[in-house]
Amino acid sequence: MGEELPLKMTGASKWFGSFQAVRNLDFEVPQGSIVGFLGPNGAGKSTSLRMALGVLSPDRGQVSLFGGAPNLESLKRVGFLPEERGLYKKMSARQIITYFARLKGMTNSAAKARADELLDMMGLSEFARARVTKLSKGMAQKVQILSALAHKPEFLILDEPFSGLDPVNQLALEELIVEEHKRGATIIFSTHVMEHAERLCEKIVMMARGRKVFDGGLDDAFAALGRAVHIGVSDGFDLGQAIAPSGFEATEEGDHWRVILKPQQSSQDALRAAIDLGAPITSFTPQEARLRDVFVSLVSEAEAQDLTDTLAADAAAQERDAA
Amino acid sequence: MIRSTYLVARRDYLGYVTAWGFWLGLLFTPVILGIFILAPTFAQNAQPTRYYTVIEQGQVFTDALRQEMSGSDEQMVRMILDPLAVTERRSSDVLDTFDTAREAGASVEDAFEAAGGNPALLPRRDFVEVDPPVSSSAELAPFLLGETLIETPEGPQPLFAAIVVNDGTREIEYWSENLQARTLINAARQAEHELQLDRALAAVNVSRDVLESAREARRDVKQQRLRMGEEANAETEVTQADQAPFIVSIMMAFSLWFLIFSVINYLLMGTIEERSNKIFDSLLTSVKLPHLLAGKLIAVLLLALTLMAFWGIGSGLLTWFVRDNIPADVAKGLSSLVVAATNPALFIPALISFVLGYLMYGSLFLALGSLCDTIQEAQTLMTPLFVMLMAPLAMLAFAIQDAESALIEIMAWVPFFTPFLLILRMPTEPPVWEVFAQLGIMALTTLIILHLATRVYRAGAVHGAGVNDVWAFFGKLVPGKSSA
Repeated sequence: MGEELPLKMTGASKWFGSFQAVRNLDFEVPQGSIVGFLGPNGAGKSTSLRMALGVLSPDRGQVSLFGGAPNLESLKRVGFLPEERGLYKKMSARQIITYFARLKGMTNSAAKARADELLDMMGLSEFARARVTKLSKGMAQKVQILSALAHKPEFLILDEPFSGLDPVNQLALEELIVEEHKRGATIIFSTHVMEHAERLCEKIVMMARGRKVFDGGLDDAFAALGRAVHIGVSDGFDLGQAIAPSGFEATEEGDHWRVILKPQQSSQDALRAAIDLGAPITSFTPQEARLRDVFVSLVSEAEAQDLTDTLAADAAAQERDAA
Repeated sequence: MIRSTYLVARRDYLGYVTAWGFWLGLLFTPVILGIFILAPTFAQNAQPTRYYTVIEQGQVFTDALRQEMSGSDEQMVRMILDPLAVTERRSSDVLDTFDTAREAGASVEDAFEAAGGNPALLPRRDFVEVDPPVSSSAELAPFLLGETLIETPEGPQPLFAAIVVNDGTREIEYWSENLQARTLINAARQAEHELQLDRALAAVNVSRDVLESAREARRDVKQQRLRMGEEANAETEVTQADQAPFIVSIMMAFSLWFLIFSVINYLLMGTIEERSNKIFDSLLTSVKLPHLLAGKLIAVLLLALTLMAFWGIGSGLLTWFVRDNIPADVAKGLSSLVVAATNPALFIPALISFVLGYLMYGSLFLALGSLCDTIQEAQTLMTPLFVMLMAPLAMLAFAIQDAESALIEIMAWVPFFTPFLLILRMPTEPPVWEVFAQLGIMALTTLIILHLATRVYRAGAVHGAGVNDVWAFFGKLVPGKSSA
């Protein structure tokens, strides 16, 4: 189907009345990648994904789905799991999967066969003919995910796919995403649970307050936060002053020193430098960077920036009024 | 477009027809209608016999009342024997046999059987006269209050009423604890009227037969109409066939109203279900919004056609099974109705009106349903629409009296009423340009409503607009509230 980008947003903005939900959003989803679309509640993730699907139109900027504006033809190549889960309650699991597969262009027999295959794969065969009202919440959610996968889409857009699932089913869904990726599907999923993104994603797009605050690989994200080691010393040894000439920056935190690692430095380098200085080392703890920390840091910065912008805008308005 | 619309329509249609509520409605609507039609007969048969007595010095009033009561029974029995002939005030073999038997002195029951009436259909007498249990009104109280029972062929029973004729004061008193049942007191008044008429005639030496002769000599006023074109040489007298189009048009208009009123709920409920189930986003990434709406409207239209087909075939089969028992006159009347209903001059405008009317009201309900999460919310928005739907029903009453009334003519130009009122006007043969103009305005209005409904549906389904947004919208239209 060519090498066109599954999704590209350029300067996309969306207002709801006077509230700007998405601000000048630029990002791409490369073909064959798994992209994590991260952000706190109200960051504009769902609005952005709905724009990507053409359900909402951007008020400014452009959205390109497989090289063009979203339309039914390009949407046939997309599987979508919406944030707000919903199924026809009087239909059976098999009927629902078949129905959505047929809407995406599959024949009746192929859709039924695919529904049976997916239900079997997810261990739901015995509930295939049960009405949705008879299914547990987790089962119903699986059925909805299967409905999005039924037509073997090239591009999967999953909005908060893990929410509402228990840990066992979250793991099963992670495996399913990996399987779909191996099949060749490009995947973007939104979440505010960082662990899923850490395990699955090659690329991260983070949003806060309608703005993109990060767009890059996982390593870039960790680098943005910085890494550190905690080194404990005895006898009041001033590690901060001693290690500075070796190119490390250290600050005292209670019973230990926090040594900041630059991108080219490893935790072993810091340990070696401390030993060479003759420091009386009592403990050594490398601090693993977590995506959660990156997320909190970037979101806090964005919120601070947002507050600054708001105050500046208010001040400008007051000045205008005074003039 | 066709495939996705077909899939949406198919899913919705199957969803509706596999619901038990649909089958309940399908089967029970004729049953309920039948009960309404037969209810008066059931009620009459279920009513216990009421016993009355007449206290009179002589027999004159008593005989007049007996004759009056017997006359009402006779009229009822004649109606059962041949309702069409009685209504049209003409003779028939069955009625002649009955009358001959009565003139020969047979009782109403015996004459009914002699005329071939089924004794099982003979209605039970509501009122039966019994001998006075006492001789004065002062002693009646315990009987009328049910404290003392009277002897009857059915055993001891309470006395329903007593009529006391006082020749001295020239007063007739009607005593009963039941103030609502008017049959007996009306019969008593009519008996007194007839009695005094007989006396007045006798005073001037005129026989009662003179009145009967005058009645028999009345000339009928026949309704005539002028016929145009090929029919110019046909009989001018108005027949059943002439009246059939009017009857059919009323039936069609009522059927359209009934169908819209009954199936429109499905559209509303289906949309509310989809909104509350948060399923719109999944659908809208697979189907274009207009195609989705088209599928939904087609599904409910098919549902309406299913109902019509089921009831139509059911009525046809029922008629077929009882065809040998249908009197020739009734069969002729039914045939006239079928001919009128299949006349293209009535059928085609009716069909267009049905489709456009359904689309207009259906899309309105669909759009408003997309704004509601619950039935309670829907009710607040639907009330004005239901009121609007009641107006054509009221106009049906006018049309029955006079289909060419100015009210019907004027209101037929209002697009919301055109679907119903144009059908009513068709038998009056309105100018062709008016028919086309009204159909055109209705089609244009339907297109505008479909367009607006799509926008409202998008607001509800995609942007989550709700009932409060509707009130806010109208609030902005009120002067001085725009900034609120």
